[in-house]
Amino acid sequence: MADKSNDPVAIWQNMIGEMEKGFNSFANRAMESPEFSKAMNQVGGVTAGAQKQLGELMEKYLVSMNLPSRAQMVSMAERLQSIEGQLNEIKALLHQVNSNSAPGGGYPAAPRPPRTRRPPSTGGEQK
Amino acid sequence: MNAPATAAVLDLASIPERIQSEVQRAIQRSIKGVEYIASSGPALGSTPKDILHVRGTMNLYHYRPIADEIYRVPILIVMATTNRGYILDMVPGQSFIEFLLKRGYDVYMLDWTAPRPEEKSLRMEDYVLDFIPDCVRRVQQDSGETDVTVIGYCFGGVLSLLYGSIFNDGPMKNLICFTTPIDFREMKLFQNFSDRRYFDVDRLVDSVGNVPPEMILSSFEMLRPASRTASQIQLWENIWNDEFVKSYRMFDRWATDTLPLAGEYFRAITKDLMWDNKLFNGTMSVGGRVADITKIKVPILHAVAEHDHIVPYDAAKHLIQKVGSADKQEVMLKGGHVSLVAGANAIKRLWPKLDSWLGERST
Repeated sequence: MADKSNDPVAIWQNMIGEMEKGFNSFANRAMESPEFSKAMNQVGGVTAGAQKQLGELMEKYLVSMNLPSRAQMVSMAERLQSIEGQLNEIKALLHQVNSNSAPGGGYPAAPRPPRTRRPPSTGGEQK
Repeated sequence: MNAPATAAVLDLASIPERIQSEVQRAIQRSIKGVEYIASSGPALGSTPKDILHVRGTMNLYHYRPIADEIYRVPILIVMATTNRGYILDMVPGQSFIEFLLKRGYDVYMLDWTAPRPEEKSLRMEDYVLDFIPDCVRRVQQDSGETDVTVIGYCFGGVLSLLYGSIFNDGPMKNLICFTTPIDFREMKLFQNFSDRRYFDVDRLVDSVGNVPPEMILSSFEMLRPASRTASQIQLWENIWNDEFVKSYRMFDRWATDTLPLAGEYFRAITKDLMWDNKLFNGTMSVGGRVADITKIKVPILHAVAEHDHIVPYDAAKHLIQKVGSADKQEVMLKGGHVSLVAGANAIKRLWPKLDSWLGERST
């Protein structure tokens, strides 16, 4: 095996690793300062406000262009999700009806393994 | 000839072979690089399951048992609300769910999808007093068992603790938390990001409704700002290695598949936990009900990671000390916030430990 200390690939990889650690550590120290929090939240606050205003402006523009807005697309997606949800409800109900009509009347519908397993420490078998 | 000189000669002798190997890798990088861009990566979360219930952001799955004989007590896994549950079910051979099924557990998962715009009004009480109890009831109904073991990952652990402290007279039989913070003062960077002097959570939530996933992802990535670039360099170096690329794609896809957070829920997390540290101080209440973790009496296991940069040990270490259980254990394992529960470390360390602890408490 080649000596790692002479291996340029290993040296490069080690250097990247060290640079990553060093930069993360430096950045973390900088981000712990109250000044960082203040600056970050000022930018964040402005961005959130600007995003809201831009969204409202775009909404008006899309209405004038007779195009669906994101909100309308989201609403359509919601209706699809709602249909999916109702299908799942129907599936769960069918599952329940099927299990109720099975001999014995209760869960589970499909045969399930017996709940008799014991841990190996008490003499149970690990299958 | 002395020893260092021999090593130098050997190194020189290996140079042509190493150049050849590097050239082959460079060729492979080009070929595999194109394949990487053209393909979609491995299918994740493919362990067979049935969807038992879907209600808005809430999804309850039941994984089909594999073993011939299963433990009496079913497990309900409560996933963190910021991320998708398939981190616990990556691919066959690297799936915590598959491991549990093979070891004879009956496994259910409460997983989350992105809250819809109208779900921005979901509050902490919707998660703790409605979603989790609803899922527990459905697990009881589906399994026919009264007792349920709850496993919470990261913030899923916080929700499980809140649930367990309010419903402390049952039906939770055991509680397992993975990397669960309770002292939010010790999450130093998140504390600083959400410093109440500068962070106007009301303005944010009132402006955006649900907190966008990009913002959640950025705040996670800011904890290690150089790591994304470094991991991309590592990917390029190792792109000839199919196993490395497969693993990179799985974890990268999951890490960037961040969920938005419901606005009111985010407001409560910020005010009650980040600002007032109520869970740690014992002053937390949810929907008017006191959530005091000293009231939890069931057996509890808390697994923490030695190199967790998201939930540092100082933020998690008081959990075991504070709960009222007589049967309680903290286990610290090598690894980070994600590698603790998924990946090679988890397969060797956490999963067998959890099996040996939980097996004898699941009969």
